[in-house]
Order: sequence, then structure tokens, then C-alpha cells
Amino acid sequence: MLRTVGAIAAGAGSLGGLTACSGTGAEGAGGQGGAAGDKEKGRITVWSWQGPAAEMKALVPEFNKKYPGIEVTVEDIGNPAIWDKITTGLAAGGQGLADVLHIGVAYLPGYVEKFPGGLADLGPLGANAYRDEFAQGMWQTVSPDGKRVNALPWEANSAGFYYRADLFEKAGVDAGALQTWEETIEAGKEIKGKTGAHLLGIDKPASQADAANFFQMLLQLQGAFYFDLAGNITLDSPEAVKAMTLIKTMNDAGLVSDLAGGWNALMSSLKQGTAAVLPMPTWFGGIIEEQVPQEAGRWKVRLPPAVRRGGSTAATVNSTHLAVAGSSKHQAAAWSFVEFVLTRPASQVKIYRGKGIAPALLKAYEDAVFHEPSAFFGGQKKGEVFLEALKAPSSAFNYTADYARALKLVTDAQSKVLLSGADPAKVLKEAADQLGRQTGRKVSR
Amino acid sequence: MTATLTGREARAVPARGAARRPRARRRVAPYLFVLPALLLFAAFKLYPIGRSFVISLHQTVGGTERFVGADNYTRLLHDPLFWTALKNTAVILAVQVPVMLALATGLAVALDSTALRARAVFRLGFFLPMVTGLVAYGIVFSVLLNKDYGLANWLTGLAGLDPTPWLTDPLWAKVSLGLALTWHYTGYNAVILLARLQTVPAELYDAAAVDGAGAWSSFRHVTLPGLRPALLLTTVLSTIGTLQIFDEPYVLTGGGPDNATLTIGVYLYQNAFKYFDFGYASAIAYALAVLIGILGVIQFRFLGEKS
Repeated sequence: MLRTVGAIAAGAGSLGGLTACSGTGAEGAGGQGGAAGDKEKGRITVWSWQGPAAEMKALVPEFNKKYPGIEVTVEDIGNPAIWDKITTGLAAGGQGLADVLHIGVAYLPGYVEKFPGGLADLGPLGANAYRDEFAQGMWQTVSPDGKRVNALPWEANSAGFYYRADLFEKAGVDAGALQTWEETIEAGKEIKGKTGAHLLGIDKPASQADAANFFQMLLQLQGAFYFDLAGNITLDSPEAVKAMTLIKTMNDAGLVSDLAGGWNALMSSLKQGTAAVLPMPTWFGGIIEEQVPQEAGRWKVRLPPAVRRGGSTAATVNSTHLAVAGSSKHQAAAWSFVEFVLTRPASQVKIYRGKGIAPALLKAYEDAVFHEPSAFFGGQKKGEVFLEALKAPSSAFNYTADYARALKLVTDAQSKVLLSGADPAKVLKEAADQLGRQTGRKVSR
Repeated sequence: MTATLTGREARAVPARGAARRPRARRRVAPYLFVLPALLLFAAFKLYPIGRSFVISLHQTVGGTERFVGADNYTRLLHDPLFWTALKNTAVILAVQVPVMLALATGLAVALDSTALRARAVFRLGFFLPMVTGLVAYGIVFSVLLNKDYGLANWLTGLAGLDPTPWLTDPLWAKVSLGLALTWHYTGYNAVILLARLQTVPAELYDAAAVDGAGAWSSFRHVTLPGLRPALLLTTVLSTIGTLQIFDEPYVLTGGGPDNATLTIGVYLYQNAFKYFDFGYASAIAYALAVLIGILGVIQFRFLGEKS
């Protein structure tokens, strides 16, 4: 059905291309006209990073079979370099920006709020047709007011719990039976005693911005976040204090290895087997397979234990999206590419096969690839584990435009706890107050 | 009527102009020559400086710039992180700069000594860090100082010491930053001092020797006074450079752990490009400029030539 609509739209588009050489006819799905350009023609540039950039590049030949008139250049800007580059471009009124931008959920609200018009409204281009195609809560993330569509969802990453089954076995702990993080800490003590491996690793001095990923996951498993849906600060909520206290307990028991240095430290820890558990989201499974292929069969994956007994084990911890720059002269052509990559199950299946990047597009999960047993993960159906989380009810999280500030304060607070044993409740209260002063937001207590 | 009048004037103008032209050309020509530089200066220095001041009086709320007067500046005074950044920068200034300049002076004297063979090689060697790309050297240092795999800890390990958390402990991170800065800029300062040293007349040393001065006395009474202008220059340059320090903490520690190496430059960057708070970042920039101005004046007062 969708394909037929696409074909009609494409046909109309090529007619438009014939009759209107000026390149202002945005026929097809949107039909708004204006400065959007031609849906079938143009030269577009795409900014992304490492894995996703490679996967999009691989899709270009197929895309060009459908749209021979669009020349696509995919650039791997690198992550986190891409955020600075997009910020600079947006601050310069869109000068030098690529046409298609790959944007993480942490940055999207900031870009939208601080640079109105910096990202094109995808609604008139045809995005609204896909409103119900994505995982729960995704549409709210890309279209908070339900009218403007700032981007289209790509990845929806659920919290995961990758673990070394062999180490758990050696310690005599049944990983599948762990219900809470408190039980996991006890298991961690057994593992440390019997194998010498740490339970997990954290970038203690917060040498990279994402040092608080684990804390954030514990928070999101409780349905909580740094802000509530109204935008008030909830940084020192009981949930946050609970999460930070768990981290402190682990650290005090000597179960946390230091991943100072960020990504590189994480990779070498993975290769050396320093930690028994990697509490990482969906996409990390692909990284483990890539980095330690010789450890096939030793790894397993499950959803994380709950924070409180009986609590949720599912949380969408992050997502990424493709947006079109407001300054792009080829918005319609850019949209054609975004639509091709994100709304066609075939594209998403190919990307998943290549890099294990989990789509937000629910239809893609009908493909057998998500239901195959994985040789690397001991014959488990890894795709189904995460699909279960994606379908489970999970709270929506309000990142707000001040997420970066909140994150900085959180990582500082975490460093105080991990490096000098500070009291979780106290440092989080200070962080919340400080954030309130910086942003003028109300601290909700 | 009018035609004849203009005609007569037209004839008259070249006659008068001919006598005047060389002088006029003399006056205009220099300005024409400096015009490209002036235009570039205006476009890329003057305009941003002015615009930054305007931005510092504004705050972006919901995408629109709103005039807030001195709000950003009063906010600065009550921001604990700004004071942390200021304190960190001051510590580096007070500890690292004197150590580095003392080293540079010693190095300059050594490099000037005729007793040293292959002086050019040493001079090049000490100056080389200056031309190393900041990011490249930042990364090299972060590898050297890595707690688990770094060369530094491997060496101290040979001596039987426990691994030092170079970049991950608040105190050691500051020390590491100082080490990196010293490695990077000592040679540069030494070269400036060396150039000045070579202008000190040899007769002065001879005279001092005749008067019975030893090595230390002639250093104190001949070398140091001779170096005074160059010392002033390197002190002022190092002060300005240190106050603006950004690259090293950005690459080595990201300002952490827990803001132990947060400098004014890094804080400015975070506010502008991480939090999109351009108004506040501009206010920080102006505060920094004022600070540099004040310190510059003080240094000239104390170290400048006494006439």
C-alpha cells in the first residue's frame, strides 16, 4: 500500500520535474510548494557518524535506483564532533549545514528551542503519514506539539543488560533470576570473589559527557528523569537518590571499574573482560560482536533488573532521528532520502543486519532477522528481547533544552560520589538547586 | 551659460589638481595600502568584539533575543562554577607560570653558553613542542598519563610506586595540566629570552669578571637586568595565554574531574556551544578581557622599565 502511494508520489514528482524546471514545485506527498525544492532532483549532503553513516552510504545505490536525479553525499562527521558542528551551523543561521542531519534525542529539543526554524518542519513534506508507524512515545519526541514534525525517528534504544554468562556461571549465580539491582550487587560480590571481574564499569571522573549513562538508565527504569513533563527539575527526586545510592553501594563494595577516558577505555575493558556486565542499550550488542568475536557463546543479553522489586525492566533510554535543515535548498529531495531510509522496512532491516542498529519503525520487526537465534549470544533471540522492551509501556522523557546543563551537573555529582564518597542525596540536591539558578526552572520537590 | 561655466571649471580643475596631486597621493596611498588589513580587522575582529558585547546584554528565550541589560554580568558574580573556573585559572597562573619562566630562563642561559655543543639542535628540540598541533599533543599526553596503560605510570611502577591517577584525581589533574603546559611553552619562552640574552654586551660580563664577580653574581647583576624587557614580555604573554587557556584542559580532562581543571575558556565554551547560552558566554568573554587588561597593567607597573 505504502509502496503504491510512494510510486504515485514519485510519478507526480517527475511530472513536476518536467514541467517546472525552476525547482520550486514540491509535488507529491507534501504538495506545499514554496522553497522546498524538487522531490526528485538535487544534490544533498547527509551528516551522521561512524556506523550509521556507513549504513546510509550503503543504501545510496538502492536509493538512486528509485531517485536517479538525487545525488547523495553521506559524511561521517564523528560523534561527538557532530554536535558542535551542527550547533555552529545553526548559530550561523544554517550556513554550511548539511541537508540531512542525524540528531540524538539529547540534542533535539535544544536545537529546536534555541534555533527556531533551524530544522525544517517535515509535516508539510509528508511526515504525518507515518505518525503511527513508530514505537511508543517516539512521535511525542519528534513532534511535541503534535503539529510541527522536527525529525523522523530512527533508532529506539531500550535499556539492556549484556553479561558474560561464563563469569556468572563460574560464580554460581543465575543471571536470569536477578530481579532487582540489589540482588545484582550481591551477585557482583560473588563474581568479584570468584573471578576477580568487576560487576560493571563507569567513567568515574566523567572524562566524557556520557559518563552518567548508567545513572540515567537506573532513573529511566523507574520512569523518572532530570525533568518532569512540565519541565520542572526533578534531579533530586527519591528515584534519583535511589539510583545514585545504588551506584555508591556498588562502588563502595569495589564492584565498579574505572572507565576514565570514555569510549577507548570502555573498548579496552571489553577486550580485557574487566567487567561481567555491560548495562548498555540495544545498539551495543553489535559493538560487542564486532570487538570480541572470539567470545561468541560466552555472552548473553536480557533486560535489566528492576530498581525496586516488581518495577519496570523496560525503558527507552535514547533514540536518534533524521532531520532536514531549515536552510536546505533541497528540502524535498532531503525528505525523499529520509523517507527512504526510515520508513521502508527493507532499509531498516539492512541497517540492522549491518550494525545491529535497532529501528523505531515497528513494521521492520516483522522481518525474520529480528527473530533469529544469535550464535554470538548463545542462541538467544536477541532481537526479540529488545522488541519486548519496545512494546512494553514506558514513560516519555522530557529532555528539554537544558539537558546538557543537567547532564553536566549530574556527572559532576556522580564524580563526587565515586571519587570522594560524597552523600548522594546531598550532591543531587546541590545539583538541582544549581540547575534551578542556571536555567530559571522550578525545582519540583 | 552653464555649459561654458562647467567648461571653464573643467579646464581649471586639472590645472589646480596637477599641482596638488602628488601631495594628495602621498596622503591617500598609505591608507590604501593598509586598507585591506583594516577591512579584515574590522570584519573579523572589531565587529565580533562589538557584537559580542551586544550579545552579552541579551538572553535568548524561546528563540528570540531579549534585552536583559547587565543580568548576565550579575549572574556571573553569583555563579559558583565561574568562581571555580577563575580559581583554577589563578592557581595555574600562580604556580605554573613562574616555574615555567624560571625554567625558560635557565634554559636560555644554558643554550647561550658556548660550552654547549650542537646548540642549534637543542634550540630546535626545545622549540619543537610549540609547533606541535594542540590536539595532537593533548592526545599524546592523555595516552602518556593514562592510569592503567600510560608510560608515566609504567615508569613510576618500575620504581615500585603505585599507579598515579594523573587525569582522574582532582589534584593530579591540575598537576598534569601544569606539566603539559610547561612542556609546551617553556621552549617558546626560552627562545624569546635567548634572543634578548644575545643583545647583552659581552663587555659587561668581562667587566663583572674583572670586578671579581662569580657566576651567580654576574647572572644576578648582568644577565637578569639585561633580560628584564624580555622577562616582562614573556610574563605578560604567558599571563594572557594562561587566562585564555582552553585546548589543554579541553583535550586532556574536559574540565574535570568535578571541575578541578575547569578554566574560564572551557567554561565559556561550554556555555556557548554546549548550552547554547551565547549571551552568558559573551559576558564571560568580557569578564575575561577585563581581567586580562587589569593584570597586564599591573605587570607593566611592576616589571616595566623604571625611568
